[in-house]
Amino acid sequence: MPTSAREPLLEVKDLAAGYGKIGVLHGVQLSVGAGEAVALLGPNGAGKTTLLRAISGLLPRTGQIHFAGKDMSSAGPRDAVSAGLVHVVEGHRVFTQLTVFDNLLLAGYGLPRAARAQQVEEALAFFPEIAEKRRNLAVTLSGGQQQMLAVAQGLVRRPRLLMLDEPSAGLSPVLVDRVLLAAAKLREAGTAILLVEQLIEKALATADRVYALARGTIVLEARTDEADLPNRLEQAYFGQGAHAPLQS
Amino acid sequence: MTDTTAQTGNGRPKGYRSTRYEGLLPFAILAIAGVALPLFDDSYIGLIATRACIYWILVAGLNLVVGFAGQIAIGWVALLTLGAYTTSVLTAGAAMPALPPYLALLIAAVAGAAFGVIVGLPALRLRTFYFAMTTLGFATIVTQVALAWKSVTGGGIGVAGPVFPSPFEPGWGFYYLCFGLAAVATWMTANIAASRFGRSLVAIRDAEVAAEASGIAKPLLLVTVFMFSGALAGIAGGLFASLQTYITPDAFTFDLSILFFIAILIGGRGSIIGPLLGTIILTVLPEFAAPLVAWSTFLYAALLLAIVLAMPGGIADLLDFKNRRPLERHREVVPRPEMLAHLLRGEGSILSLANVVLSFGGVRAIDGLDLDVRPGEVHGLIGPNGSGKTTTLNVISGYYAPQSGSVRLGDAVLPPGAARARASHRIARTFQTPRVIGGASVLDNVKIGGTIDGHGGFIEAMLTLPRHRRDETALRERALLALSAVGLESLADVRADRLQHSELRFVEIARALMLSPSILLLDEPAAGLSAEEIRRLGALIKSISRAGTSVLLVEHHADLIFDICDRVTVLNLGKVLAAGTPDEIRSHREVVSAYLGA
Amino acid sequence: MLESIVSYGLAVGAVYALIGITYNVMFTASRVFSFTAGMLGMLGGVLGALFIDQMGLPVIVGLVATLACGAVIGVVTEIVTVRPVLKSLEQHLYVLSTLAFALLVQQFTAIEWGTEARPFPRLFKIGAGFLDQQFWLPLLACAVTVIGLELLYRRTLIGRAFLAISEDNYAARALGLPEQWLRIASFMLAGMIGTLAGFSGGELLLAFFGNQSILNFYGFVPVALGGMGSNRGALIGGLALGVFQQTANFLVGGVFAAVAVFAVFIVVLLLRPEGLAGALGARRV
Repeated sequence: MPTSAREPLLEVKDLAAGYGKIGVLHGVQLSVGAGEAVALLGPNGAGKTTLLRAISGLLPRTGQIHFAGKDMSSAGPRDAVSAGLVHVVEGHRVFTQLTVFDNLLLAGYGLPRAARAQQVEEALAFFPEIAEKRRNLAVTLSGGQQQMLAVAQGLVRRPRLLMLDEPSAGLSPVLVDRVLLAAAKLREAGTAILLVEQLIEKALATADRVYALARGTIVLEARTDEADLPNRLEQAYFGQGAHAPLQS
Repeated sequence: MTDTTAQTGNGRPKGYRSTRYEGLLPFAILAIAGVALPLFDDSYIGLIATRACIYWILVAGLNLVVGFAGQIAIGWVALLTLGAYTTSVLTAGAAMPALPPYLALLIAAVAGAAFGVIVGLPALRLRTFYFAMTTLGFATIVTQVALAWKSVTGGGIGVAGPVFPSPFEPGWGFYYLCFGLAAVATWMTANIAASRFGRSLVAIRDAEVAAEASGIAKPLLLVTVFMFSGALAGIAGGLFASLQTYITPDAFTFDLSILFFIAILIGGRGSIIGPLLGTIILTVLPEFAAPLVAWSTFLYAALLLAIVLAMPGGIADLLDFKNRRPLERHREVVPRPEMLAHLLRGEGSILSLANVVLSFGGVRAIDGLDLDVRPGEVHGLIGPNGSGKTTTLNVISGYYAPQSGSVRLGDAVLPPGAARARASHRIARTFQTPRVIGGASVLDNVKIGGTIDGHGGFIEAMLTLPRHRRDETALRERALLALSAVGLESLADVRADRLQHSELRFVEIARALMLSPSILLLDEPAAGLSAEEIRRLGALIKSISRAGTSVLLVEHHADLIFDICDRVTVLNLGKVLAAGTPDEIRSHREVVSAYLGA
Repeated sequence: MLESIVSYGLAVGAVYALIGITYNVMFTASRVFSFTAGMLGMLGGVLGALFIDQMGLPVIVGLVATLACGAVIGVVTEIVTVRPVLKSLEQHLYVLSTLAFALLVQQFTAIEWGTEARPFPRLFKIGAGFLDQQFWLPLLACAVTVIGLELLYRRTLIGRAFLAISEDNYAARALGLPEQWLRIASFMLAGMIGTLAGFSGGELLLAFFGNQSILNFYGFVPVALGGMGSNRGALIGGLALGVFQQTANFLVGGVFAAVAVFAVFIVVLLLRPEGLAGALGARRV
């Protein structure tokens, strides 16, 4: 493993973003190293989805974003995807009126035709269950399968960093494990992961490091093997002055 | 940092100023110019001026439909045509004995009113573009009928227009008639604009959900406005026929419709003086240079495009000097809870939900919910995303009708799905994203909250009769009181879209307080507020509850909830997970798990 | 008389259907109801007469030139009237900007081309009577367009990208689809379809600036009834409208035919504001 350059793959500084007049993020600092799996946790309304949207360029924002050495502070989603930064949005939104295969082809829009075909096959190889449904309309897939399709779409561009926004939302535990297993496999293959999750235990199991976001700023950063993590997370969530003993 | 509640010596909050006389100046200038016009003794000028007055009579009414209610009614020339033919046929005496022109004009007004309702009715059901198309269709139909119904309208040959007897005979006498009627139309529409009807129209246009919550009835109001507008158009039609002396169907071109419509948009929505100036400009413009006449509609369209792209606020925006004055940069909102005693009544009832079930498609958003909010308490409602908090508020405030279960306030059962009726039950609410009317002043926004307490009718407002004036004075005082309670009275006359997000949240609360609510529903009021603002918000909410109003507070901010709530209910997956005092909830194992995910 | 009603009705109905499809293509790309559909139809007739009759160009060259102009005007429409107002929260603005632009073009045409309806050149020397080319040219254009669009949406990647943008704009953007470019391409396509409609219906409707208002309304009726965004609905609705209009014309005469159409339109809309297809079918482009 090359260790001479310890510069992180993704570096975010002083990121601020919101919707119209409503400021949601107030100066976020965050980084993800190459091949690392990082979990982003936090209570509702903290701004996790807003943060991912700001990084991938779906929202206007101020601050600095560097990815793979490039300055992405004013880049939109198209540039992000070309650079290898892919955002799989919340809610397993796939194009229901198109086939599974077409959904994946669209993920490869802009690639040369041969490369596109091949990379689509690679993505499908990750999810054999939907590979056999490639000619079916996406609307016929179950929720879990649609989520897998959405992740597969993210894979078509061979991302260096894959950002997943609550991939477990609305899925049964079995499917959640499947999706997170795929994320783990990706990480082993060298793709960095930034995972937003509600299910703390699962997220901690998959990730190397964790950030906690509350009220628009990062309130905690730690490695997942550190002690007393669940307690510290609760404290971070509920703010100063609140304490919630987690003793049984 | 400036405290926005600082006062001057005589107890009037600093920064509040009366602008009633500022606004009258342009009208006064026009009035004087209009009355003095005959001194020029130029019949050509007289002709143009008469035409401008006649157009304005129609546009004044259409302004309420397009500029205030926001309906894209493009084909209004249909009503001009109707008014013109009605008066002409009635005074010509061909089909029946001739009527005196004033009576014919009156009948044209009635016909215009009826037809205005017919043309306008689709607006209640159709989307913007669809409605615009139907008005275009009406305009075409009316012209075609005028052409074909030869026995009455004379078909393509046309019919002679009415002639008014002395002192309004053709020439300057007729000009004074038109000018007088135009002045009356201005006065009436300005009165309506400044009344709760005008404010309600704008509320329906820009913040329909909030208008419903304030008890504003859209269908009745729109129909009234269409009727009034149609009547004015009918009168304008009769006068137009007289001016033309002889009318044929091709006098009523699509171009005229465009002129009326564009005059309002160039003038700016929600204004009277703007469209008035717009009408004058568009009538006079082609006359200044002969080549311009052929290109006049082209110019109008170019003007419209320029306005839409560069200056959507129109002339009214240009004239809005008041809102160009810079505001203080570092403003703080400092509520004054002691003012609440004047506003709130302190009689509460218990709000209870029993076994409420609400499904969307196959998904149960609320799955058997029981909830009680006791009088005068602050009750927190928390839960993870998707647990049904905002949905619950929407059921209580009547936007969703549950499939089963009941919502009661005291003994009264709240009818399901009847959002408009909630205001009369004194249930007030704020919204997750502030729903305010950007183009209106802060004070006007807050006045919306007190709409249902008005007694005067539309006609009383139109003629500023005493009962209406009493309404308005009381409403204004009350709104200023509400603004001082939340700490914003120095921003009363500022356009709402100039305010910061946090200030808008307090404006919404002030608007809700206007109802003297027995229960106040707050939907994530702390979102986007700084820590200090949240602290002040908390203090305000506590004071509101101590004054007797119950508060149901949906929030993500755990600190706020635990600080000020008397009791807390935790929702998860549409059901109650736990309920109790904040301390009980904080140490509740399952609650913590649900929040953190298990 | 039946043959006359059918041939004339279907032909003019095909033009209405094509204008409806023009509305649809602009709508699905941007969620914008644009007032420029009728304008494009009108220009198709006027430009065709200009290129072929006045400038003496061969028919094919005239057709290509007309379609090229349509494409350019479509792109200009997007840049000038749609893109600037998409960002604004005020929904009504795009209705006004497209209306203003359409009026500009109409008035310009009225001044430069004249306000009289001028004849459209006879394109080929084929057909006579009820099988005359003026009747089957619009139907041919309609068929070509509908089949072409089906092929585009089913077989090409860009067509599927159009469908994606229209179904879920947010997800499409996140995936990296070039949403802005695709929107421009849609308006370009709409420009060509609109002018094709006017060109193919030129002999029927003549080269007349007043066609804009007529086509704006009658091209909208099939869309309103069939559901905004449904090309199938526009096709059926347009043909049905054409035949209905001709039948009414024959039975009760010109004016009352217009009233009849309008009355049916209003009644149906008031009963089913989302159109006859309504909430039944999914939004198909």
